[in-house]
Amino acid sequence: MKLFSSFIKELKLASRGFYFYVELFMAVIILAVFLLLVPDNFNNQRTEYIYFDMPRQTSELFLQEILQEDTDGKAAPVKVEVDKQEKDAMLYTTSDQKIYVLTSREDVIYMADKEKKIAAVVKLDSDNAINYEYYLQGYESDKFKNLLKILHVESNETIEAAMNNQDVKPLADNTLVLSDKENMMPSVLVFNGALMGLFIIAAYIFLDRKEGVIMAYAVTPSPVWQYLMSKVGVILVTTILSSFLVIIPVMGTQPDYLLLLLLLVTTAFFSSSLGLLIASFYKNVTQAFGAIYGFMLLMILPNIAYFIPSWNPDYLKLIPTYPMLEGFKSVLLGNNDWLYVLTISGGFLLVGAILFSISNRRYKKTLLG
Amino acid sequence: MISVKNLYHSYNKDGKYQVKDVSFEVANGEVFGFLGPSGAGKSTALNILTGLLPLQQGEVVVGGYDLKKVSNERFNKIGMSFEQSNVYSKLTAKENLDFYRKLFDVPTLDSHALLKLVGLEGKEHVKAGEFSKGMKHRLTFARSMINNPEMWFLDEPTTGLDPSIAADIKDIIKEKNKEGVTVFLTTHNMFIADELCDRVAFIVDGEIKLIDSPKNLKLQYGDKLVEVEYMEKGEVIKTTLSTVLPEDKRELQKIIEHHDIQTMHTKEATLEEIFIKVTGRGLV
Ligand SMILES: Nc1ncnc2c1ncn2[C@@H]1O[C@H](COP(=O)(O)OP(=O)(O)OP(=O)(O)O)[C@@H](O)[C@H]1O
Ligand SMILES: [Mg+2]
Repeated sequence: MKLFSSFIKELKLASRGFYFYVELFMAVIILAVFLLLVPDNFNNQRTEYIYFDMPRQTSELFLQEILQEDTDGKAAPVKVEVDKQEKDAMLYTTSDQKIYVLTSREDVIYMADKEKKIAAVVKLDSDNAINYEYYLQGYESDKFKNLLKILHVESNETIEAAMNNQDVKPLADNTLVLSDKENMMPSVLVFNGALMGLFIIAAYIFLDRKEGVIMAYAVTPSPVWQYLMSKVGVILVTTILSSFLVIIPVMGTQPDYLLLLLLLVTTAFFSSSLGLLIASFYKNVTQAFGAIYGFMLLMILPNIAYFIPSWNPDYLKLIPTYPMLEGFKSVLLGNNDWLYVLTISGGFLLVGAILFSISNRRYKKTLLG
Repeated sequence: MISVKNLYHSYNKDGKYQVKDVSFEVANGEVFGFLGPSGAGKSTALNILTGLLPLQQGEVVVGGYDLKKVSNERFNKIGMSFEQSNVYSKLTAKENLDFYRKLFDVPTLDSHALLKLVGLEGKEHVKAGEFSKGMKHRLTFARSMINNPEMWFLDEPTTGLDPSIAADIKDIIKEKNKEGVTVFLTTHNMFIADELCDRVAFIVDGEIKLIDSPKNLKLQYGDKLVEVEYMEKGEVIKTTLSTVLPEDKRELQKIIEHHDIQTMHTKEATLEEIFIKVTGRGLV
């Protein structure tokens, strides 16, 4: 009951303050940008690595054809780093592709497997028919895959025949994919939820410190944890509101909304508890700024890695936003991986609870500090 | 009832104490005041008593609760008004009080009645952020009595208020005390100490120099001061001297012998003058 009235009061305070609207406003802007400006998929120049597994004369014919599309009509000799060794390669640049022709099958597979590039081995099978082996990463869109399917076939009949003969075997087990636009949503959720929550709850604490109201609370029979929890409650509300505001219009019915809610609640609980703990060490925003900024930068690292598939060092997995991103991605895919999301949520709940109880102790002790 | 024995406090735990070996008792229904200059350690001691600062060393019992054993429920019996007003500036006066009421487990006073009591009638729906300093202070003061406290802690209840408001607040404190509320207050205003307190403690540099009732103090020091106005090098000099302290007596003799006396009369010592005599320090 006390907790509830504290929570209502905090909501009132928040709704009359500035930060509440910052988060919602951000959500509206993000939504507008995504609905109006961001295309489903970005038409970047694709980079491909190809090896021709066939006699030289035959491969020459292929290269001739590619050369016709090359923007300057000639191939450029370049060095490509494969497994920390520089290898010779030829670069063909067309209007929408960069094609590196490598000199061994292993190198192509290395590029696909370790560098997460799009790679293909072109070979002649026993009947001298041309055979393509594409190595995809799983994050390419269907549209792109379909393009690949018809890329090297000439007539309509052959397109159809080729389509039917296509044998796409995914390397990873996760066969569902997000479009480029949808693929950015997990990051949006992490930014607008977790990172903002961390910052905003600290800002709320410092506002209260400035006004001295924490002290007034401290001389009542109500426990400090309720005071802190009511603030966490406000963060949960704003996180859920602003996240749904973006996700529903962009993603439609695809996500598991129940799991999304669960993951939003647990991750926001985690990050607001972390924000409380950080704020407990400082007297005002200015002093805390460095620490908060540092934490936010650290938490952004996995977001960067998320968009650079080949940069994915193991230590990143220790940063909480890493599992957060993976969890959100799974939820948004709607692949019903309950166990996975529940595990991640449970983890955030547990760590959040630990951080919260440490914060509680610190606030009890440092009310005047 | 408040009992404090050998209380010490050091903010930085560096061997320098802001409260040193403070001991006193406050009986139920008594108004007890800490009188001392700025930085004397009044708020520090009070904040330890209300649990805002941790108890480092000493024995403190407030309303039957030993402060070594933490218990939140004791705050149902305690009220505290802060030196610097601390209310939610984004909530209205009434919202501030309404919210605070819900934090107690005991019956509380009606917000509207409280606001009326402190002269904030008609300001119920104004945000505290738009209040003047004095109005905020009154709101903070009103909040402190919302749970009908048995023990009422008031840190500088009238400092910085205009005289008529200060007088109102004094009356409220007297009224509550008549109803049986035990009051512990801090002040550097001798009039407050004089008019409100049953007993005062003189506190300087974290140490209690003396505890007595204003009445006793005045009996002891009263009518033993002479105020002299005399001419020296064409200027009128005014001084107050004790008729008890030897050096004051010698000084008085000298003035009478060597100067032209304008006026001279005995007067009752104010608490401030007594404070200066006892501690060697002024109240500001
Ligand atoms: N948070 C703090 N950290 C370190 N020293 C402090 C702190 N608060 C107060 N002090 C020091 O403790 C001493 C006593 O301060 P306190 O606030 O108790 O004085 P006070 O008697 O209430 O003064 P005032 O009449 O100005 O309110 C002062 O020397 C002050 O500088
Ligand atoms: Mg003080």
